[in-house]
Amino acid sequence: MTTFAPVAEATSAHRGHNKEATLNQPVVDVLVDRCAGCQDCIVRCPTGALSMDTRRWVAVADSELCVGCRQCVRTCAFSAITVDGPMIVGPRIETAVVHVEEPLGDNSEIRQGISDMKAAVTEANRCLVCPDPTCVRGCPAHNDIPGFISALREGNLDEAHRVLRRTTVLPDICSRVCDQALQCEGACSWSLAGGRPVAIGALERFIADTVPVPAMEPTSNDGEGMSVAVVGSGPAGIGAAYELAAAGANVTVMEKNDHPGGLLQWGIPDFTLPERVANRPWEDLVRSGVDLQLGVDVTPEDVDRLLGEFDAVIMAHGASQALRLPVAGADLDGVEDATSFLTRGREALANGLDPTTVIPRRTSGSNASGSDAPTVLVLGAGNTAMDVARTARRLGAGAICVDWMDRRFAPVRPDELEEAADEGVDVRFSTTLDHLEGADGKVHFAHLNHTRQDGLGETPQVIKGSTETVEVDLVVMAMGYRLDPRFSDKLGPGIPVRRQVIGVPDRTWQASGIMSVPAPPAARNRPVGQLSLGREEGLNESFLPARDRVWVAGDALIGPSTVVEAMVQGRRSGRAVLAARPRRESVTVPVDLPAKRVLVAYESRGGKTARIASEIAEEIERRANSVVTVRPLAQVRTADLAQSDLLVIGSWVEGFVVAGVGPAKPTLAWFKTIERIGSLPVATFCTYGVNPRKTLDVMKGEVISRGGNVVASAAFGRRSTSSDVFHFVRQIVDKARLQLAEPKPGSDAAANDQPVREVVR
Amino acid sequence: MLAQPVATAVHLRPKVTDGMDERFAETDPNKGWDIARHPKVAQTLKSRRFQFALILPNQIIFWLVIFLGLLGTVVPGLNFGTAITWYLWFCLVFVMMVVVGRAWCSMCPFGGFAEWIQRKAFWRRTQKSLGLGIKFPKSVARYGFLISVAAFLLLTYVEEFFNIAGPGAPAETSIMVLGIVVSALVFFLVFERRTFCRYVCPLSALIGSVGAMGSVAGFRTRDRDVCVACATKDCMRGGDSGYGCPWYTWPGSADSNLACGLCTECFKSCPSNNVGLFLQKPMTSVIAPRRRRLDIAWGVTLLWGLVLFQQVNATNLYASFDGWLNRITSLQYPNPIDYFGIIFVLAGLTAGIAWLVSRLGSRKVGNAEVTSRSRFRSFFVPMMYGIIPIVGADYFARQLPKFFKHVSRLIPSIGAWFGVGSTHSALYNTRLLSDPGIVFVQVAVIAIGTLAALWASWKITGRDLLPLSGHSATLRISVSLVVVACGAAAGILYVLMHAAS
Repeated sequence: MTTFAPVAEATSAHRGHNKEATLNQPVVDVLVDRCAGCQDCIVRCPTGALSMDTRRWVAVADSELCVGCRQCVRTCAFSAITVDGPMIVGPRIETAVVHVEEPLGDNSEIRQGISDMKAAVTEANRCLVCPDPTCVRGCPAHNDIPGFISALREGNLDEAHRVLRRTTVLPDICSRVCDQALQCEGACSWSLAGGRPVAIGALERFIADTVPVPAMEPTSNDGEGMSVAVVGSGPAGIGAAYELAAAGANVTVMEKNDHPGGLLQWGIPDFTLPERVANRPWEDLVRSGVDLQLGVDVTPEDVDRLLGEFDAVIMAHGASQALRLPVAGADLDGVEDATSFLTRGREALANGLDPTTVIPRRTSGSNASGSDAPTVLVLGAGNTAMDVARTARRLGAGAICVDWMDRRFAPVRPDELEEAADEGVDVRFSTTLDHLEGADGKVHFAHLNHTRQDGLGETPQVIKGSTETVEVDLVVMAMGYRLDPRFSDKLGPGIPVRRQVIGVPDRTWQASGIMSVPAPPAARNRPVGQLSLGREEGLNESFLPARDRVWVAGDALIGPSTVVEAMVQGRRSGRAVLAARPRRESVTVPVDLPAKRVLVAYESRGGKTARIASEIAEEIERRANSVVTVRPLAQVRTADLAQSDLLVIGSWVEGFVVAGVGPAKPTLAWFKTIERIGSLPVATFCTYGVNPRKTLDVMKGEVISRGGNVVASAAFGRRSTSSDVFHFVRQIVDKARLQLAEPKPGSDAAANDQPVREVVR
Repeated sequence: MLAQPVATAVHLRPKVTDGMDERFAETDPNKGWDIARHPKVAQTLKSRRFQFALILPNQIIFWLVIFLGLLGTVVPGLNFGTAITWYLWFCLVFVMMVVVGRAWCSMCPFGGFAEWIQRKAFWRRTQKSLGLGIKFPKSVARYGFLISVAAFLLLTYVEEFFNIAGPGAPAETSIMVLGIVVSALVFFLVFERRTFCRYVCPLSALIGSVGAMGSVAGFRTRDRDVCVACATKDCMRGGDSGYGCPWYTWPGSADSNLACGLCTECFKSCPSNNVGLFLQKPMTSVIAPRRRRLDIAWGVTLLWGLVLFQQVNATNLYASFDGWLNRITSLQYPNPIDYFGIIFVLAGLTAGIAWLVSRLGSRKVGNAEVTSRSRFRSFFVPMMYGIIPIVGADYFARQLPKFFKHVSRLIPSIGAWFGVGSTHSALYNTRLLSDPGIVFVQVAVIAIGTLAALWASWKITGRDLLPLSGHSATLRISVSLVVVACGAAAGILYVLMHAAS
């Protein structure tokens, strides 16, 4: 339970100080002309500065209590509130970054955490404990940030861990590797108001570093008797394994490398994520009984075999296929991708190996600067490129990063860029590789071109005649990764899924105010609300099965992303397995199957389709052991599909007799907003006046193209009776293998087959 | 793992619902008067094409007005543009506002045209609008409907200056209509939603205040608890099927039809099917609202000043005074000094009478509700709501002569397209009523308006003013006398106008 008291104390203390110094108090002004008294601002004000004038039914403000966070301004749908004046909040804590004088051989952690409890509490007191915390929406895991910060304020770090464990199993790792500026901190109220956010990442790390992350504890017995294979041991695999193992499932994790952790191991160097921290989750999982099989490479063809051996399979194999620049000379010796370089570099640094085993020393004397150190050219300036270049520096090489984007528009972390420059990495933006030139089959020269990019989203243009030649010993391509196409083909349409908002953004998110400030400075002027909501779309997809008994999570589902997203998706897919409780056919032991969740969604104009949808729902509930929800199609999102085991879609038929006859346009528009239906069984029906023509075929096509499996279809016309509805439902129940309901006393199953009453006249 | 991690972290403060039912008891329409309960009505209102179908005919007519005014015959009575605008349309708008409220706004071609462009669609729900979408600045928006009143005063001055409504040269009517279309378009492209209609449209305050007499309550909540608990407010922010209210009105708290443009967007967007289209007893939005607006009170006062001035303007006394003033100021008719001066004097006089009543009627002993600072406002605002029926009746009566004398010219003006209409045709010269007959109707309209105002003022005084006063009989009599005086002034002026002509 969060509390508002510390906020009031902290802010009032600060305000008291301010009053003496200046008259700079925020002034809240409610424009009575437009205030509708909806109270959206009042319920969200962190300090209680807003209340209702019940006589006029408008909000009224007490500026004395205002701290200038402007949550009210962002949340008001009618723009009826303004706040002028400063934000009353103390300075943000600055955590230390170790300056590496001589990178060679240094493998120590660069970014430091908060050093003591007093400093942590001071920073925690900057948090407003917002009633509708936008930071929680910004965090991909939706950590209860005000919750753990409140526990920290009270000095109860065990409680803070308990709050964190509800949503994350990697607080120690995420707090180190997350780009908080685009996530929780970018969405902090102070950030959205234009100020400096609470150092949420540093506080999370303080908790994780001060009190050990608790070991796994059983959460339920939902998974007992179920065996699940998890392919991949990266963050998504870790998330899935935690979720399933804590519920008592038998979990087998297959990892192709000889060390678990996936990207945490081979993708993130020790100086960012120390090995002891990266290893912690797997030590815990193995202790908890998860069967970790190393050196097992699962190919797409193996999935069917796994389905014979396990009740469910979660594919969390990541997106590890490195992108390569197709330039002349790319096949020369001395050109490699980031994965192999980072793996070798990590090993060399960890074991104190000779750096020349990773980067060969030049044999042709000194370079232009007179040094005989080898030069590594890194293509790219993102996270991975920085890691490669900084690893190269630690291996005694010079490092040049080139990125064809303009510095202003490149998606880079400024802190990372600063640290790399501090360590001697030469980062060149607006520069691209033209071609490589070799000598004796080995790369020797890189010919670079300069580029020009005038706006965000524009493709950089090469400036003719701007070629520059650099002598290099090794070229590492670190432009990013992609999914192995063999897997995407095997796992059905729509993978990788796009993380973007289609249609109207969720209004609860709009109401929170996170969407109102498109690009706060603290989020590097990036659209933090859109990014957060886009991530949400991806997270919801991880609930959906890709095939029968197969789920996909993490980078394997959405393409290269972040550790925290992958971890949450892993947990969600694990949760989806526990909810569906699938069983392989060879299992004959009777199991207590959960009631199937059926969603009946309809697009109705005159009420006929809605009426039949309701009839169908009633009949399914009567016949099968199911929980049925009926909802207008427009209100159904991926998140709703993700919570269903069977989908029934109904639509009225648009058109006139023969002209333009097909599913209603809103139905087709809805399909456009849904990227994947996964392998959900789907039943479709339509209601028509004269002739449905190919309406059902069109609907079937839409379902199949999104991976869905149409189990039954029916068209209901003017003369359709309830008997038609019964037959349709019977078809659904049979084909979707719904568990039949226990016959109720006095009921006559045979009566179900008789037309009882007219449904549509 | 939490099933609803965001919801778990959200701890909204409790909403205020105490006293809510009582607060809206008088203004909430009868639940049974929700015409959207009828499936066919609901289906029509849900259709995104419905609003388009309402706007389209007027759109065609007013583009015809623009083109025919510029290109058609220069004879005002024979030009369709001037004939339909000044002989019929203005009268119809008044009938609609008295009966329905903002019926005209729901079909207005000016806002409608600009909105099509702003939304980049005739009827579709689009996600991105064209234009800058700026919020109307707070410093201006705080004047509310007074901006619209100012625009109306200015427009009537321009209209008088060029004798547009006379009607004068048809091209001037075209240019005036085109000017409104262009102004609307500019505002729609610069500001968000229907900022133009809500604040700037010259007719908005008039329709809003006089429309309060109407029997359509507008789109209101069916169950306020559902609205208050609603976490999404699609009706305000826009949902899948409808836009956020273009008029900045929340069905959950609307207590009058003042700012409901009847655009149906809230009805379409509500995910809980909790918005209905309600009828109400006539005058409810005049009498019942708890949240009375100062801008509306001043707006009514100024509009009353304007319509009285328009009557005074037609008397011999004014003609002599104006002639004298023009001579000494070297200006021409309409002289802005006496034009705006008399309007403000008449409005000020009305406000002054309200001030006198406040002095007469308020308690001498202290009352927590009424301080010396708020005393005037506490009396003035409800009293001005009370005279709305007279103001509405007066504007309506002002339009009647053109209707009764010339509305039949509409037919020859249509015939003129085909070369069959002429100033010699019988219909061109047909009058529905003689001059004395018209004056009789005008006085009758004013009498009805006065009676309605007396009834409204009686109710308003009983609820809003008597609790502030220790002299209930004095107050009731003085308020009623003010209403009667207003009605008498308007009625007598019509007789004088007739005598002058």
